[in-house]
Amino acid sequence: MRFSIIKRFYAIAFLTLVVIISASLLSLTYSLTAEQIKLRQHEQFLGYLGEMFPEMTGFEYNDELYYVYDDALLLGYAFTASKAGYSGDINIMVGLSDKETVKGVLIISQTETPGIGTRILDEPFIGQFAGMNVNDIRLRSEGGQADTITGATVSSKAVIEAISQAAKEKLAGING
Amino acid sequence: MGKWFKEFIKGLVLSNPIFVLALGLCPALAVTNSLDNALGMSAAVIFVLLCSNVLVALIRTWVASIVRIPVFIVIIATFVTMVSLTFEAYMPVLYESLGIYLPLIVVNCIILGRAEAFASRNRLSLSVADALGMGLGFTLAIVIIAVIRETLGSGSLSLFEHVLFSFPVLEQQPVSLFLLPAGAFLVIGLLLAAFRRVGLIKNE
Repeated sequence: MRFSIIKRFYAIAFLTLVVIISASLLSLTYSLTAEQIKLRQHEQFLGYLGEMFPEMTGFEYNDELYYVYDDALLLGYAFTASKAGYSGDINIMVGLSDKETVKGVLIISQTETPGIGTRILDEPFIGQFAGMNVNDIRLRSEGGQADTITGATVSSKAVIEAISQAAKEKLAGING
Repeated sequence: MGKWFKEFIKGLVLSNPIFVLALGLCPALAVTNSLDNALGMSAAVIFVLLCSNVLVALIRTWVASIVRIPVFIVIIATFVTMVSLTFEAYMPVLYESLGIYLPLIVVNCIILGRAEAFASRNRLSLSVADALGMGLGFTLAIVIIAVIRETLGSGSLSLFEHVLFSFPVLEQQPVSLFLLPAGAFLVIGLLLAAFRRVGLIKNE
């Protein structure tokens, strides 16, 4: 088939027009929903924080660290960590009962392989961090105390490294 | 009105997208592990199918035929992304459980198939009938599959947290195979065989 120049330009112009209309519709939808999506994520995060510290009545956010309070009593700290796993980012929340002791670790979101990488959600792995000194959350080969999962090394290593990196960065400026 | 009704009704049984045309099997296999998921997916598919059929029918005389497929895909992807953002903002639970299959509606063959095979050749009112019929046919099919899978796989059937019915024996010992992908293949295969046996589907 042969197309005249005019037909070709018409085709290009038409497709361009469709894409421009599509892009503007999408940015409109995005701007209409962005605030609500952020609110949802914030609510979800609060849910996780409440799960970690059931007695929580309030918290302060300062320099990437959450200070969790029961009225005036400081219950502990929490921070988020994130690292690429086997497929996509794994987002984690770490709770501390004091400056060094881990209260618990929660996986906020992950997209690991179902049945294999998703074992990072299971108790034997995720439960090992409770009570650990935050400085010991490193691989055993690097002198730490944290175990990876056989067969899901990439996913479980990502969790451990995410926590140790984030702890190093975010706990440096801890006060109180 | 006779023709409109004929185009509408064909998607429900005689040209049912899942059981007869065998289009859109990916979501039919993936999200039919619970009735809620199936209904959420259906709502999204009906919306996208209706919007894309309407738009394609409206622009069908102007669209340059060499770029029609990219144009259709851009239109479909736009609507899917809009649905996806809306679900994320207002229906987070459904958004979480549909997961990757929500954005994958873009490549659901039913939608591009109807745009290319029907809406680009027929007037607006018939395209609306086609979209509604095909959308409801898809809904009917995946709801049937989901009801069977959820009932056998978990022992009870619930709709938006209301338990519709439950079998205590099955609840204690559910056949969890039916919640897994293999169970979806089994259910679809058996349903196809059964429909063929009773003559609901005819070989062409």
